[in-house]
Order: sequence, then structure tokens, then C-alpha cells
Amino acid sequence: MTAPVPLAAPVPLAVRARDVLTSEWTKLRSVRSTYWTLLVAVVTPIGISALVAVTLAHAPGKQPSVDPLLPGLISQEYAVLAVGVLGVLAFSTEYGTGLIRTTFAAVPRRRAVLAAKAAVIGALTLVAGEVVAFASFALVQAVLSGKHLSVSLSHPGVPGAVLADGLLLFVVATMGVGLGAIVRHTAGGIAALVGLIFLPAILGVLPAPWGARVGRFTLLDAVRQVTALHPATDLFAPALSLLVLLAWPALTLLAAALLITRRDA
Amino acid sequence: MIEVDQLVKRFGAVTAVDGLSFTVRPGHVTGFLGPNGAGKTTTMRVILGLDAPTSGTARVNQKSYPELIRPLHQVGALLDASALHPGRTATAHLASIAQSNGIGRGRVAEMLRLTGLEAVANRRLKGFSLGMKQRLGIAVALLGDPPVLMFDEPVNGLDTEGIAWIRQFMRALAADGRTVLVSSHLMSEMAQTADRLIVIGRGRLIADTTTAQLIESSTRKDVLVRSPRAAELADLIKARGATVKPEEDGGLAVTGLDAPAVGDLAAEHGIAVHALIPRSASLEEAYLDLTGESTDFRAASS
Repeated sequence: MTAPVPLAAPVPLAVRARDVLTSEWTKLRSVRSTYWTLLVAVVTPIGISALVAVTLAHAPGKQPSVDPLLPGLISQEYAVLAVGVLGVLAFSTEYGTGLIRTTFAAVPRRRAVLAAKAAVIGALTLVAGEVVAFASFALVQAVLSGKHLSVSLSHPGVPGAVLADGLLLFVVATMGVGLGAIVRHTAGGIAALVGLIFLPAILGVLPAPWGARVGRFTLLDAVRQVTALHPATDLFAPALSLLVLLAWPALTLLAAALLITRRDA
Repeated sequence: MIEVDQLVKRFGAVTAVDGLSFTVRPGHVTGFLGPNGAGKTTTMRVILGLDAPTSGTARVNQKSYPELIRPLHQVGALLDASALHPGRTATAHLASIAQSNGIGRGRVAEMLRLTGLEAVANRRLKGFSLGMKQRLGIAVALLGDPPVLMFDEPVNGLDTEGIAWIRQFMRALAADGRTVLVSSHLMSEMAQTADRLIVIGRGRLIADTTTAQLIESSTRKDVLVRSPRAAELADLIKARGATVKPEEDGGLAVTGLDAPAVGDLAAEHGIAVHALIPRSASLEEAYLDLTGESTDFRAASS
């Protein structure tokens, strides 16, 4: 190989995107932590929603005010940490081991790496979230039907609410990807994620009307509003709440995109 | 070809690379030599687009690194062999990197074969020895069959067999017409591997020459003479145009006259000689002299 190698033959953008996505997909499925976190993220909420439904069904007296979709939602909130960790690890392990330098030397367009990691983890957790949402829904309604508390999937507003329920894991996981890229450290990234999700929720206990005024911007209130069969009147409308919900990962990834090209790897 | 021009890299108040310029050409193993902390790794990181230069440029094949598309076909690098996910297998590690540059499975298998890692291809990397990790790092560097290769301290922590393997490997790559830049803080190592040397200290260029020239120009040679009439002998030697430096223990360090000539001179004048020892400074010492700061370090640590 004495002849100079032809420089940078043009490679279509779509092919380059596919390359980076395939690479990140291989990375994701070749480590055990992916399988563990997904297992926890899927099994825990289905189990918890069944448990909550059983408790509701056996509660003394009739409780017509209970939202029949609530158990499915509450349970997803327990899966949040698992997928959040999955998201954070995508960058934090690479920064921790130094592998990030190999990654960025192979793909100097760092935002492409960020986008690819967010895309593969987002796709995986979206599928997992929807599976959990519909499985929980089916299980919960089966338990509640004995007490005539259940709703069917054909009931107006129900399909949308269940679909939205499945979004939570996707939202938190992609936010985790962004935080991993920003903090570049596993423990720090997880702490930041927990902080951003749960600390603002404390503001919801402020005296009325401030609790709702602040709370409607928080991730957890937004997701509850989006998935509620009877949305609260003092929070944003569900459509706006959906925007709030998606704004959390969007803004996190935006911050990551700004920082990732500015800092030395 | 690698071209570094007036490169400066500061980290806060610390200047790691201070106006460094050099060119690395194809067909040779070029040693990148300097004491620890001289700025070798930082320079390599800037070349790879990992660290942004404070000023100046680093170009590979006439392009700045971030402009390269599928860069593994242009440059292969091994910076830190331990930089890998311990839970991944060797095959998955290589495949994930290969895919990012559109390199197929066949090439991955070929590189595992070439580096002798076939048997452990499906083992998790946490069980790999440093030598195996170095081989894997070389497999990564060679994935895209690049014309330019960079290795940062590739023999660190390797056993003799591993060192011999890497040394011969780098020579073969250069003989193939590739540009090979290898960093090391050990002169003795580079003397056996590199044809050309770029020596840096405190982020600045100290020497950019061939290995043979550096050895020739910087190796100190003298003769140690001991005699009961040292002062008298010293005058005679000086009269012949040679230089004499008295040693602390009363011996004379003579340069410019070889041992037989000193002996003959003493005999001519009937001066007894108790010792006549030709000395040559090791290459390592020559290098330490060249990079002044490590001389300080050597004095402090001995």
C-alpha cells in the first residue's frame, strides 16, 4: 500500500446514520446491564400494577372515584429508575473507561453519536414502555372487572391514556442519555436524573394555587395529567402536558449536544 | 502523513504543548519520544480531534481530523488499551467500532486472527491480560486498513514476547509504506524500533532527526584515566589538544584522545597509569541529557 489512499470518498448521510445506529445498537445489546435494567423495567411495573389493582379491588366499600388507569401509571414510575440508569450508562461507562475516545475517533461528529445512542435507547424503551403499559392495563382491568371498576380499551380516552403511559420510560431513558453525556459519570448522572425527576415533585406540595402552578411543569405531574382519564383542572391541558413531558428529554439532549462538541474527550 | 504546525494546548494554567511543529512521513517508524508529561499523549489526542488545540493545527492526510469521513480508513490509533467495556466480548467490541465506519464482519474476524485473539474472541474483556488488550487495541487500529497509524506507549506493561511482537509488527506496517508514529518515554525502546525520532520535552520540540544521527551526535565518549601523577599527565594530554576534566575521586575524564593514545603518552613520559577505561554514555543517558528536565528528576531520585 504505497499509493496514497483516496481521501474520504463521499458516503451518503443516510449510510453514515445507519453505520452509527448499528454501532450503538451492537454496543447496547452486547452488555449485560441492558438486559438487567430492561428486565427490572418490565417485570417490576407489571407486578406492582397487579398488586395495586388487587388492593383496590379488595378495599372496603365502593370507590367509584378511583381512576381505573392509575395502578398502571403508578407502577411505571417504579420502572423509571431502571431505564434512567440504562440511559445514563450509555455515555457514563464510555467516559469512565476511556472508550469514549475510541468512539469519537471513529465518529468525530459527536452529535451523531449522541443522537444514535438516544435513538437506540429511545426505541428500546419505547417498545418496553408500551408493552408494560398495555400488559399492566390488561392485568389491572382483569382484576378490577370483578368489582365492576374496570374500563375497556374502547372507552373514549382510554387508548390515548394507555399509549401515553408507555411514553414515560422513553422520556426518562433518553433524558438519562443526555445527562450521562453532560455529567460523564455514572453516579453523578443517576443523581442528576433522580434530582430532576423527583425533587421538583416536592414543589407540588406548596400551598394552593402555587403547588399546581409549579407542579404542572414537573415531569411526574405532566405524565399523570397526560395519562389521566379525568385530567386535573388546575394543571395544563393534556396536550400541553404532553409537550411539557417531551420537553424534559428534549432540553436535556439539547444541552448535551451543546456541551459534547465543546469539551475535550 | 501527519503534520503538526505551531500546536499549542493549554489546560487552564498548564501548557501541555507549547508551539510544537513536526511532520511524520510514510514508510518509517517514527518514534515520538519524551519524558512522562512532555505532551506526547496530548499531541496525539489533538491529532485525533479529541482535544481541541488552543492554537495551531494538526492535520492528517492534509485534512483536519473532524473533516474525515469514516476516519478509521485514514487513521488507526491505539491510545489506551484498557479503554474498553469489561462486559463486552472481543468480537462485540471490535464489531461495534467497525460498524461505525461501515467495516464488515469479515474484517473483524480477520483482525482477530491477525492479532492472535481468535481463541478468545467470544470471551468478555474483563478477563483479558494487558497483553491481550494491547493486541485488541492494535486490531481496532488496523480495522480500516489505514495508511496512518499512531500508538501511544504500546509496549508499556508488556512482557518480552509481547514487546518483540509489537516491535516487529510496527516495522512491518512501516515497510508496507504506512506512516507509523509511536510514542515512548524510553529511548532504549525507540532505538530498537524507530528509524526517525521526534523528541519533545515540556511540550516543545527538542530534536527531529534520524535515530542514527541522534545516537551519533549525542552519545558522549571519553576515557577515564587514573594515575599517581595525574596533574602532570593532564598537562601532557592538554598539550595534545584533548580535553581533560578532573573527576571527584581524582580520576581524569579525557575526551579527544583515545585510550591507546593516552597510554602511549604516559609511557613516553614514564608516568604510571593505574586505570585506563574507555567509557561511552548509554543512549538512555544521552537522551536524558537532551531532555533537561528528566536529568533533574534523575538527580533527585538517585
